[in-house]
Amino acid sequence: MIASKERTVIFEVKNLKKHFELSKGMFKKQKTIVRAVDGLNFRVYEGETLGIVGESGCGKSTTGQLMLGMLDATDGQIIFRSQDLATMNKEELRKARRDLQVIFQDPFSSLNPRMTVEELIGEPLIVHGIMKGKELRAHVLELMQLVGLREHMINRYPHEFSGGQRQRIGIARALSLNPKVIVCDEAVSALDVSIQAQILNLLNKLQRELDLTYIFIAHGLPAVRHISDRIGVMYLGKMVELAGRDDLFNQPLHPYTHALLDAVPIPDPKLRKEHDLIEGEIPSPSNPPSGCRFHPRCPYATDKCSKEEPEYREVLPDHFVACHYPLTEVAKRPVPSV
Amino acid sequence: MQEAVLKVDGLKVRFKTEDGYVSTVNGVSFTVHEGETLAIVGESGSGKSVTSLALMGILPPNGEVVEGSILYRDRELTNLSKKDYRKIRGNDISMIFQEPMTALNPVFTIGFQLREPLMLHAALNKQQAHSRAIEMLRSVGISDAEKVMGRFPHQLSGGMRQRVMIAMALSCNPKLLIADEPTTALDVTIQAQILTLLRNLKRQSSTSIMIITHDLGVVAEIADRVVVMYAGEIVEVATVDELFESPQHPYTKGLLNSMPKIHDVVDELYSIEGTVPSPLEMPTGCKFHPRCPLGDSECAKIHPSLESKEGDHLARCIKVAKKELVV
Repeated sequence: MIASKERTVIFEVKNLKKHFELSKGMFKKQKTIVRAVDGLNFRVYEGETLGIVGESGCGKSTTGQLMLGMLDATDGQIIFRSQDLATMNKEELRKARRDLQVIFQDPFSSLNPRMTVEELIGEPLIVHGIMKGKELRAHVLELMQLVGLREHMINRYPHEFSGGQRQRIGIARALSLNPKVIVCDEAVSALDVSIQAQILNLLNKLQRELDLTYIFIAHGLPAVRHISDRIGVMYLGKMVELAGRDDLFNQPLHPYTHALLDAVPIPDPKLRKEHDLIEGEIPSPSNPPSGCRFHPRCPYATDKCSKEEPEYREVLPDHFVACHYPLTEVAKRPVPSV
Repeated sequence: MQEAVLKVDGLKVRFKTEDGYVSTVNGVSFTVHEGETLAIVGESGSGKSVTSLALMGILPPNGEVVEGSILYRDRELTNLSKKDYRKIRGNDISMIFQEPMTALNPVFTIGFQLREPLMLHAALNKQQAHSRAIEMLRSVGISDAEKVMGRFPHQLSGGMRQRVMIAMALSCNPKLLIADEPTTALDVTIQAQILTLLRNLKRQSSTSIMIITHDLGVVAEIADRVVVMYAGEIVEVATVDELFESPQHPYTKGLLNSMPKIHDVVDELYSIEGTVPSPLEMPTGCKFHPRCPLGDSECAKIHPSLESKEGDHLARCIKVAKKELVV
């Protein structure tokens, strides 16, 4: 990890909110508001990998799309290299988008089936009017080599490739404009274990060689731990904890983080144990619980938790948590009534 | 050793495609004993799911069992009529799938779908079936069972639907439960709930479980014995402890090493080169040799057989058989 003194902030996210309005009922008269992202504050530093984990409906993918400028925020700010994405004019946004690229989960649906590898990887360069002709082809070949695709594959179509190779095409395409930041949205989740390892190693190699910053969004904790420098945990549109990866795994402060880590199956039968199961299901983001959103499932919840929303604060250096009773203060916590 | 519930011997399955016949399962043999949990692990294209579909007699129309036998307690299943197979499926063997939404009927209530097999297979009347269904839902951890009975599948969450599927699968007290990637589509906290449920189920009844998965973490959590498949063949069979402690086949070792570990961070993950071969372009000899760090010209010629390394620990590798393998 980068030492804290020399860290340069590349993204500053302030009180970020994204609410979607859904209509239902007869004549769509009933309006419900889905609070997909509801007040996020965090920074991303240049050259780091920030992992964002959480279960379905926590808002992690929406957060990624907001940071790419693919969605407009309902409230709050996303400051990319000291400029707010929302206040950029068209030309500025176009430039910013060259620096912000994305790799999607499904390499089967994110690549146009009628385009060859050359067209897929070269398209962004043509769209932005940077290169064409022979120069373009040479650059595409260079990118292919960088991500481990062989030269003779240049005229093939996506369906001729396996999942892992398609993900390599997606990565080469994302790299074509020489971006600063890549948002990896579940980039390895659909891949087999042996292929997942290849892609994770490739992402690490590229980061070292090209000074990339990654925002790695995923639900698979082992992969996130492997690749991230810092990890944020989201629950129902909120960031509940954010810390350096070892701090987070060794000393989770939020009861939800603890439960999430505990639920990951460990690939060693000798460590088989009973899990500290958390009860119940994830509530709907259109009707989130009052106070702390985790309180109905939290084994330590008190009256205060159901009424007051906990403040997201830095309790240890570089370790943020939103909980009235973070786990280090376990002794001070009122005994849960069973 | 416990009595065998299911004995699969030399199973071969092929599919008719535009490019001719394609064999996806090639001579698979294994046994599921009473009360045990057997895991079948493999990546996409290993033939693990096709094996389970063949066992249940629900292969797609272009697929067929061409060779081998499937013995359910001395009864041969491969030559059963559709009608007889249906009886076995309801009463003796049942199955849960990865995505319960596609397995549940969207236009009937949960109550209707739970009562139906009970009235059909267990010959209960509607009233009896209703109370038994509620009992079943409670046993899989659904507390407001009465309410859930009146719901439609789309009104339930993914974890809830999987519980309903399990309740349904268990309603006629099957001897064998086949679970095909039962937790893959679920969030990790819900996955832990479902795995705990399956573990408790095994403790409380004599039901054998055959779980099909790609996730070695799930295997370590729940299995007694493990079958590892690669490109339509079994490459290793061992107890769960032995498999994780002393894996023999280079493919198994590669799989275990390529998993990112949550408690043990390494700089670079081990990765198996290349990709799973397509059934149309199977390598000669050992099917893993083009990707194997130990593969040589001999491996390209000889198709190894599944041999015992020690007792019941089997591996399909000539290097292992010759003890040339350096760990």
